[in-house]
Amino acid sequence: MSSSRFRRFAFAYGAAFALFYAVAHARGLALFTVYPAQGIVLLGLHRFRDVADPVLDFLAPEMYWYGWIASAAVGALVIGLIAALLPARLSWFWTWCVWVVPPVAMIACAYLTIPWFRL
Amino acid sequence: MATILLILHGLVTVALLGTITHQTLATCVPPKAKPYSFFGRFRAVQGVGFTNAIVVLYLISWLLGAVIYLYFKVDVQPTLERDHHWHALGFFDLKEDFTAIGLGVLPAYWSCWHQPVDGRSYQIRTALTLLLAFIVWWAFLVGHAMNDIGGFGS
Repeated sequence: MSSSRFRRFAFAYGAAFALFYAVAHARGLALFTVYPAQGIVLLGLHRFRDVADPVLDFLAPEMYWYGWIASAAVGALVIGLIAALLPARLSWFWTWCVWVVPPVAMIACAYLTIPWFRL
Repeated sequence: MATILLILHGLVTVALLGTITHQTLATCVPPKAKPYSFFGRFRAVQGVGFTNAIVVLYLISWLLGAVIYLYFKVDVQPTLERDHHWHALGFFDLKEDFTAIGLGVLPAYWSCWHQPVDGRSYQIRTALTLLLAFIVWWAFLVGHAMNDIGGFGS
């Protein structure tokens, strides 16, 4: 991969990763769910409370963070490869995206965290 | 095991904090004359020389954090919830989100610092360096506060 192609890939990947991560977080699109207490990893999004009483939630705390990252990484990889294949004259767009999207995604994540501060 | 990993995570993060602060100041406020003060010497470094170290330290720190997060979820978070440390948990959630986004930005950041600089790429380089610096400082401060509130062994 040439330097210019890698640059387009990297910029598109960075922007797309941030965007997909925020979307995965907001929409619960985890590629897998981790149950650290049991040492189990299940494909897709699973909620313990869907199959057991919510008061027993503490028995099997689930973690989606790794799944969100995996979802974002897969999506960003696709966008990055597409960007690398597209003509170099579009590189201004990826440059603009990598500048704007990650901070906006961080603000979106902060918005999604608001419920913690209302408890 | 978790305590050893947490100490390692802390040490790597301190190193990362130092390197990225050096680079950020060198990028944003480069010295105009020969530096004589401590602050002047602190920012009179070649930022590019820190890039690979920052990427490697970020990756190691993130990996250690990702492993420790498993212990945190099982051993620490229930205690924090029981004691109603909701704000701390919210800030910690943000730390996880920010560090994940920082992970995605790393290739672009690395690319920026290994390209010839013109007007626009200097601005992008500065923006991405500032973004990473903010993430690292946020993660360090929140992680430190969480450890003070309900860290391992407390």
